[in-house]
Amino acid sequence: MATESEELESLVNRRYEHGFVTDIEMDTLPPGLNEDVIRAISARKNEPEFMLEWRLKAYRMWLQMREPEWAHVHYPPIDFDAISYFAAPKSDADRPKSLDEVDPKLLETYDKLGIPLHERARLAGVAVDAVFDSVSVATTFKEKLSEAGVIFCSFSEAVENHPELVRKYLGSVVPQRDNYYAALNSAVFSDGSFVYVPKGVRCPMELSTYFRINSANTGQFERTLIIADEGSYVSYLEGCTAPMRDENQLHAAVVELVALKDAEIKYSTVQNWYPGDEEGKGGIYNFVTKRGDCRGANSKISWTQVETGSAITWKYPSCILRGDNSVGEFYSVAVANNFQQADTGTKMIHIGKNTSSTIVSKGISAGKAQNAYRGLVKVMPQADGARNHTQCDSLLIGKECGAHTFPYMEIKNQGAKVEHEATTSKISADQLFYCRQRGLSEEDAVNMIVNGFCKEVFNELPMEFAVEAQALLNVSLEGAVG
Amino acid sequence: MSNSDKLRSAAEQLGPDGLSDLRSRAAENFGTTGFPTTRMEDWKYTDLSIASDISVAALDDFRVDLPPSYEIPDIEAHWLIISNGSPQVGGLSAIDGVDIALLSEADVDLQFDLPLADLNLALLSDGLKLTVNAGVNVDKPVGLLFFDDADTDSLVSQGRVIIDVQKGASVQVIEFHTTRGDARKYANVFVDLNIEDNARVDYARLQARDLSAVQTARLSVAAGRDATLRHFALDTGGKLVRNDLVIDIAKTGADVEFNGLYLADAGQHVDNHTRVDHRVGPAHSKQEYRGIIKGRAVWNGKAVVHEGADGTDAQQANHNLLMSERAEINAKPELEIYAEDVKCSHGTTVGQLDENAVFYLRTRCLDEEQARRLMTHAFAMGVAHRCPIDACTTWVDSHVEDALNALVAEDAK
Amino acid sequence: MLDIKNLSASVGGAEILHDLSLSVGTGEVHAIMGPNGSGKSTLAQVIAGRDDYEVTGGSVTLDGEDLLDLDPEERAREGVFLGFQYPVEIPGVNNAYLLKAAVNAQRAHRGLDEIDAFEFLKLAKEKMALLGMDQKFLNRGVNEGFSGGEKKRNEILQMAMLEPRLAILDETDSGLDIDALKAVAHGVNALRSPERSIVLVTHYQRLLDYIQPDHVHVLSGGKIVRSGDKTLATELEERGYDWLKEAANG
Ligand SMILES: Nc1ncnc2c1ncn2[C@@H]1O[C@H](COP(=O)(O)OP(=O)(O)OP(=O)(O)O)[C@@H](O)[C@H]1O
Ligand SMILES: [Mg+2]
Repeated sequence: MATESEELESLVNRRYEHGFVTDIEMDTLPPGLNEDVIRAISARKNEPEFMLEWRLKAYRMWLQMREPEWAHVHYPPIDFDAISYFAAPKSDADRPKSLDEVDPKLLETYDKLGIPLHERARLAGVAVDAVFDSVSVATTFKEKLSEAGVIFCSFSEAVENHPELVRKYLGSVVPQRDNYYAALNSAVFSDGSFVYVPKGVRCPMELSTYFRINSANTGQFERTLIIADEGSYVSYLEGCTAPMRDENQLHAAVVELVALKDAEIKYSTVQNWYPGDEEGKGGIYNFVTKRGDCRGANSKISWTQVETGSAITWKYPSCILRGDNSVGEFYSVAVANNFQQADTGTKMIHIGKNTSSTIVSKGISAGKAQNAYRGLVKVMPQADGARNHTQCDSLLIGKECGAHTFPYMEIKNQGAKVEHEATTSKISADQLFYCRQRGLSEEDAVNMIVNGFCKEVFNELPMEFAVEAQALLNVSLEGAVG
Repeated sequence: MSNSDKLRSAAEQLGPDGLSDLRSRAAENFGTTGFPTTRMEDWKYTDLSIASDISVAALDDFRVDLPPSYEIPDIEAHWLIISNGSPQVGGLSAIDGVDIALLSEADVDLQFDLPLADLNLALLSDGLKLTVNAGVNVDKPVGLLFFDDADTDSLVSQGRVIIDVQKGASVQVIEFHTTRGDARKYANVFVDLNIEDNARVDYARLQARDLSAVQTARLSVAAGRDATLRHFALDTGGKLVRNDLVIDIAKTGADVEFNGLYLADAGQHVDNHTRVDHRVGPAHSKQEYRGIIKGRAVWNGKAVVHEGADGTDAQQANHNLLMSERAEINAKPELEIYAEDVKCSHGTTVGQLDENAVFYLRTRCLDEEQARRLMTHAFAMGVAHRCPIDACTTWVDSHVEDALNALVAEDAK
Repeated sequence: MLDIKNLSASVGGAEILHDLSLSVGTGEVHAIMGPNGSGKSTLAQVIAGRDDYEVTGGSVTLDGEDLLDLDPEERAREGVFLGFQYPVEIPGVNNAYLLKAAVNAQRAHRGLDEIDAFEFLKLAKEKMALLGMDQKFLNRGVNEGFSGGEKKRNEILQMAMLEPRLAILDETDSGLDIDALKAVAHGVNALRSPERSIVLVTHYQRLLDYIQPDHVHVLSGGKIVRSGDKTLATELEERGYDWLKEAANG
């Protein structure tokens, strides 16, 4: 162990000697946003003309828009002119040089989550590009994908190598003017992921940002675009269970999914950004727009999310069920502890015939947190045979937290069948007592009950993610009881 | 003259009396706010521009005319008549244990918190204040008949009633809305119901206006310690109807149950908003609304459990049957919870009749139409039977039956 | 009475019954047994005319009349009665009301006058007494909140009131206590007559001790794989179904 960290340290120092710092400074734009900044971002990324135009259009729309206020969240106004919209990767000089410099609390959490040692350095933002394991894994991974014809690369690479795909699909699900943060993202996004699965291909492995080279610093305005061509299938994992070190307070990502005829996309997220401390200081504002378009007949998009992090989460992964017989799913666990605020849910827009959607939302509030489910089920007049089932449950742990549900149902078709059920309660005293009578500690009993409460959602996660998610839940609720 | 000037002069024209000051203040307020718009969350699905049109037209030539006669529903009750917005003093019969006064002569504190309440006050010729004396058990239901009748032009009428049910008293109240005549009518009604400790109120709001009428109505309830409320609302009439039922539970032990049935035929728009605030616990609230819809309906139920209101039990249910291709329902069951020891739930369904049950009935020799009719009827009656006032049940049964037949009959055409 | 020839039927896109043939003579009692999921209820529902079951081939006739063309209520009025494995709860629809509406619909079909209310009640109470059912069930919603056994008794009550030509009872014996089982058997036996046919779907020999079948069939994988007399039921009780499945597949 000691030798490993020494090794790393020497590596770090060597890099520093090579004068990375000057390089980086040239790349950083001063804070503030105007058209020149956008031109600079686009130029810096060698983007084709259409991308610059697209960004500028988004920027002009953004200027006309107002920050949304309807969500059940409260925060001081954001100064958009104080943000630097093109910050190159953090200079290594500012990063911890080894795990020894990392906040011991963070390390303790890694321990509880069972994060492998070699991972911890990368996650904690230690200035090492030396996680050789994952680089080699990534290489074999890339080979397999290209054999199958799957394109999986950073957004910048996609703009460079597959401009026709980007041009065709970018903004086709989340248009620039969609909402305030989507417009901002469209104007200034730094990078993100791009996936294209060709016709009839079943992507041979679960795709994860974790394996994507260059993913180290996608920054605060991330953009993801996934296209599943006819008859294809892809499962995509975003985020990871470990708390990431991040200096940016505002995150406004956009994710667009397009499923063509007979295609299926499964998108799983574990979000564990820094939630702020126990007093509610700091923490990430996570304002994300995620939307999937079931464009073709018989297509399916399934969102699964486990949201435990961020000071404020504002996020509604949605499905537009355009194709006949298309299917949308949303499975969510949202945990809010201490001073966290979560306003999350989904929208299911039924347009095609015989479309169906399922919503399962499990909200857990503890400490002084506020947790809201906000959802829309809309059945258009032409959507004959539409079906929706929504189950929306909230669990309260503690007297000072809040749990809210705001479900909208707008049904304009006689043949639609829509069912919505919601419950809110505290952890059942009977269940707690039963577990404790069988010898479990109160904390273990709570963990067990909460995990049981979330089971339906965890079942939707890919295997290894599911195990981590359970551990994560326990860590997130630490100190909530007793 | 601008619309707000017209409103101000109409308000003046109603005086001078004990309400003059209130009227002019309210007219002032409404002049600045105007009608709620669909940009407001609470009014997202209900557009009041037609109410505004009728009001503007009525203000052009504002006067309070009284109809020559009234149509009193066939329900055994002490009827108090409010016609075209005016309480009929002549018709005020004495009720044992109940004090009845005109608002202009009573000492009351009226709220200015909502634009429609301002409109109501600005154009209010007069209202009623009923006090059910402590410990009294009123022998027969007290009926409030809101009867609007005009043949030509546009009629805008305001109704306002304050009911104070003192400690340990118990009373049944029927709020009945009906119309006559061809005029375009807009009625805007506010009822405040204060149920003091240990008192009980059974309440039925029965709305059977004509199919061109517009109504906005709000019932605000304050429930005292161990107070009981049983409420039932029926809407079959109106072109555009918006009802608000707002219940405030600020003392422990309250037990409130409110149910409703709305039938919206093609061309009708029926909006029910309910809100119950649990400020303390333990207390119990339960509601179920059902809709049978060929036109457009809105249902928004909200339960707010405030910090510290532990021991709250709040249940909401809303079920809708869509009966035509153009039918539309916008439903929103909301829970806002800031306490821990609570049991809250809501269930909302939108759909058609249960096909399993229809099949079952058909294997028992009923034809499909019979089976559907029977199921639709059972669906409606399932909630109509919870009307807490026995004196109303015959009327409710036959009225619902007729309304359902009218709704279904059109299919045969 | 009932003639099923080469019937194939599917539900939700999957074919459940394959080329099934079965003949039930007038006055006979047949028992159909078979493993879970073999298609017994599917067969019963197809005969009763459930429309999410699609008939893809074959014919079903009742005394020579094609049943497949008829609506469910027409079949019922012709005298086909289905006792459901899972009787449906219909909250708000009064049990007595349904019973009376059913009886009258059938009487109208037969060209008879409506039954008089007094007569109806008398008859219903009589039948209920026979089944050991409390009269309070008349005033409850159809099967609403009934226990498993109460629902089954209610099915038999409806059967007794409608006096069908052909009664198909889908696992009417499951969930019954001993007394109820006897009562149900009694109800069925009372109906037994040279003009009537009865098809019992069951998993247990026990019921057949009370209602002696003339024929026993085994339905497996959507087909009748074996037919015999009542000794077949005893044999099944001892040996299970595996040997038959193997025989059918081999
Ligand atoms: N709607 C449906 N969609 C798909 N398959 C169905 C559907 N309904 C029934 N099935 C399937 O058809 C098969 C036959 O079902 P059926 O109910 O007829 O069995 P059964 O013989 O009555 O069984 P049991 O003894 O358990 O009552 C089963 O495999 C069942 O899962
Ligand atoms: Mg079965």
